This record gives sequence, C-alpha cells and structure tokens, in this order.
Amino acid sequence: MTRDVADQPAPVLHRDWRSRDAWRGTRLGLWAWLLQRAAAVALVLAIVLHLRNPFLRPIQAIVLGLVLLHGLLGLRAILLDFGLPVRLHQALFIAALLLGVALYALAWWWRWY
Amino acid sequence: MIIRVFRWRPEAPAARFDEFPVEAGEGTTVLDALVGIRETRAPDLAFRYACRVGMCGSCAMVVDGRERWTCRTRLRPLARQGATVTIRPLYHFPLVRDLVVDLQPFVERMKAAGAAFVPGGEPPEATLPERPAIDAAIECIGCGACVSACTMVRWDPRFPGPAALNRAFTLLADGRDAGATGRWTTVFGEDGVFRCHGQAQCTAVCPMELSPADSILRLRRKATRSLFLRT
Repeated sequence: MTRDVADQPAPVLHRDWRSRDAWRGTRLGLWAWLLQRAAAVALVLAIVLHLRNPFLRPIQAIVLGLVLLHGLLGLRAILLDFGLPVRLHQALFIAALLLGVALYALAWWWRWY
Repeated sequence: MIIRVFRWRPEAPAARFDEFPVEAGEGTTVLDALVGIRETRAPDLAFRYACRVGMCGSCAMVVDGRERWTCRTRLRPLARQGATVTIRPLYHFPLVRDLVVDLQPFVERMKAAGAAFVPGGEPPEATLPERPAIDAAIECIGCGACVSACTMVRWDPRFPGPAALNRAFTLLADGRDAGATGRWTTVFGEDGVFRCHGQAQCTAVCPMELSPADSILRLRRKATRSLFLRT
C-alpha cells in the first residue's frame, strides 16, 4: 500500500476557473489582460464582418468599441513596460476603460449624429 | 461562522472539504482557528507554520481565493464578506497532505534562475549605485504565495515564476555579481521574463509588499536595452 502511494506523483492543485472561489482570487490585472485578449479575438471577427459590408453601422460601432478597448489596454501595457510603477496598473486599467467610454461617446456623437 | 478546510491524504486520495463552525474573536487569525480545530476536532489535520508572527512565511495558504499568510489574516473581516471561509493549500505545488504542499519546485525554479550570488573579482562596496532598486526587491522570504497566484506558472512549467525572477533581478542589478552569464539563459530565454503576462497577481498577493511584477518589467527593459547597447 505504502509502495503504491509512493509510486504515484503527488497531485498539484490549480485554480478551477469554473468555481466561484477561483474568481474571487482574480485581481484587476488579470481582468485587464483577459479583456485585452478577448477584444483582440473579437476584433478579428468584427473586422471580417466590417470588410464584407463596411457601411453597416452596428458593425462599425462594434469595431470602434473593440479597437478602443484593445488599443487603450495596449497603451496601458506599454506605459508599464516603459517604467510606470506597477502599483499604478489598476488605476491605469480603470482610466483606460473610462477613456474608452468617453472616446466612444465622442466618436458616436461626432460621426453619426 | 464556518471554516471549510481542504482535506487530502496520499493514502486516501479523494479530496474533500470538511466544515467546522468556529467562534472568531476580534484578533483571531486563520491560523489560530486552524490550531483550535486541530486541538479539539480534527487531530489529524495537517498544516504548516513556524513563527506565527509573519516572519517565516511557512503558513501561506489560499484563503477565500487569495494567497495569504494565515498567521497575519484575521477571521472577522473575512467573515463580514461571507459566512463561510474556505482554506486551501497553495496552488501549483505538489500536495503533501491536507494544507501542506511540497515547496521543492519553488527551490528548483530558484536554482534554475541562478538564485545564488556569485562573487566577482571586485571587493564588496558599502553602497552600490544600484542599491535602491535592489532594496525594493530583496526581502523575499520564499513563502510561495506569488507562485501560487501566477497564472503563467500554471501554463508553462519552465517559466521561473515571480519569486525566482525577482531574485534574478536583484542579482543582475548587483554590479558585484559575476553569475550573469548563466542566469541570462534562463531569465531571458524563451520561457523567461517574456512569458509573463503582466497581470501583477504576484504583486497583489505578496505579503512582504514586494513587487515581482516591477522586477520582471525591469528585467525586460534590461533585455531590450541589451539589443541596442552593450550592457
């Protein structure tokens, strides 16, 4: 019995992302990373749709939103890469989201209405 | 309030959670509660601790989804967020029993990143110009909390992890160290600093309030500079 147990590699726990407990440990930095990557994937699809019919306003609106989200979060990463202290990363994430909303509203107002 | 404790033993490998009702006083820590549970209700409950005052780091566990030193974590504020507090062992380390994990992979990652100082030819100086940057990163006591919080450690077993990279930074920044050549291969290799996703989970959970994420970004800048300058 002891020999059998000793022969087995010990299991290693990882976060089970399907559980509520795992997401409780998720900080804003991970959300920023996830959002930026998700926006990149969605952007590929949206651009394909946009190229198929560049005059559809709903698709234009989606592309604009995704570009702002992906680009501004990328800018946040670049600022951190270039030496802004990491303690500012959460503030930068929130600032990127707020700036994105503001620019979106401005573009919406300026371009379409 | 209820404490849910992760239970696992090698001879009966089905993991489970045991629930224990506890009374939490104003200063009761998670570690106090675990000690109380073991003394009165579960004498076979295994967990690791030593100093009990936040100096050794051996009581690091995942409490309510976040890596913490249980000796420095009070129960009352956690109870205000929910009636049940869940305690698990650190992630990404092999289980030994219940809440105890094997920290050998932590040591291996440290070794791989060249964690030992290599004396150079020059005599040590009292104050180095790099000292302020090194000071900000040097107090790591190896509790493993940052490694448990890092998502990249999960996906790339060759990634050195935040603690090892933080240590590598302190040595690469030290002008007296002569081990940079060997360290460079691991730190700036394909599975090194550039695999970091910059989520700063390590910095968020570090009980010593260090910022391994800052150290990793400093290493990246050093690597980038080396493309253009002889450093």
